Amino acid sequence: MGSDDQLPPILSEELLLSVAEELKLPLLQIAREAERGEAVHPALRTIRATADSALRLLDSYALGVRLALEPAELAAESISVSSVLYDTGQQLDALAKQYGVTLELNVAGRFGPVLAHRQGLQAALVSLGAALVEALPAQGGEQLTLQLATHRSRYGIVAGLYADNRLLSAEALRHGRELQRRSRQPLLNLSHTSGAGIFVADTLLTAMRLRLHTSRHHGRYGLGTVLQSSQQIQLV
Amino acid sequence: MHVLLVEPDRILADTYRQALQVANHAVTVVPTAQSAISAADKATPELVILELQLVEHSGIEFLYEFRSYPDWQTVPVIIHSQVPPGEFKDSQQILRDQLGVTDYLYKPHTSLRQLLRSVDQQAATPA
Repeated sequence: MGSDDQLPPILSEELLLSVAEELKLPLLQIAREAERGEAVHPALRTIRATADSALRLLDSYALGVRLALEPAELAAESISVSSVLYDTGQQLDALAKQYGVTLELNVAGRFGPVLAHRQGLQAALVSLGAALVEALPAQGGEQLTLQLATHRSRYGIVAGLYADNRLLSAEALRHGRELQRRSRQPLLNLSHTSGAGIFVADTLLTAMRLRLHTSRHHGRYGLGTVLQSSQQIQLV
Repeated sequence: MHVLLVEPDRILADTYRQALQVANHAVTVVPTAQSAISAADKATPELVILELQLVEHSGIEFLYEFRSYPDWQTVPVIIHSQVPPGEFKDSQQILRDQLGVTDYLYKPHTSLRQLLRSVDQQAATPA
């Protein structure tokens, strides 16, 4: 038997990345063919929404791996958090409708631009949002509302997703991270699935030298990240 | 509008072709850069929808070849690709000004409706 370095790269990041890229094609085929048939068969909207959501998750995963492997790609730019949250809401809208979750956008207040990699931040928030949209009905709550909000904290400007759900706790997140590679259902109190969207968001934010945190806003519980103001542009 | 659709995946090509036809566009579908040049030679398209990831010659190679012919220099081109636009962030100006790319749609994030809207915008724009 040869030495370890002659073994095939089983489950290497590069192999998983190429599998993710390959899986995007059939999901794209399903999503677009379902969209084409929607006018005649409205039930195809569900197929389209879930295929699009899976496609975005794989795309976000691939982006996270690329950013982690090639940090040179991480050119931060001055961006508006409100605009990123608005686009996130647009991308989650179809899936939220299918799961009976109401999306609310709360971007009141002027916080100025922040410095971040826009595509990465957007992908992280969409992955996180899709995971929470799928998880909320499974938690058995009555009020299925997910709020996309930004607010100022003592650490910076927070962009996050919030729900009336105290299970979105720091303890649940810490425990989930510990169990991620060992459990089929690491976020036991949050999600009935592997919670991959939350971990993809975690990976993307870490690659961007940010962190996924638990957060409170207007009495709601949520997950989000803290961004620093950009000095590049100062709006009057 | 006569659309030349350069799409290597047969299933996606069928879906996009049917959607464009329902929207009253005539569509020629080809899978490669070489067959796209041959198709354009037979009947000049009014619009090209182009995937960049093609077998043998890339979509970018196709664009340089396509633009080298005087008859095809003003034909609008929509890139509709699996390649994220971020990978071209340093060459956006070349794509737009030198290669006449009028829109760049990232395929995994683009619905049929968005693609058709982009095609309609080209149809409404005077040459």
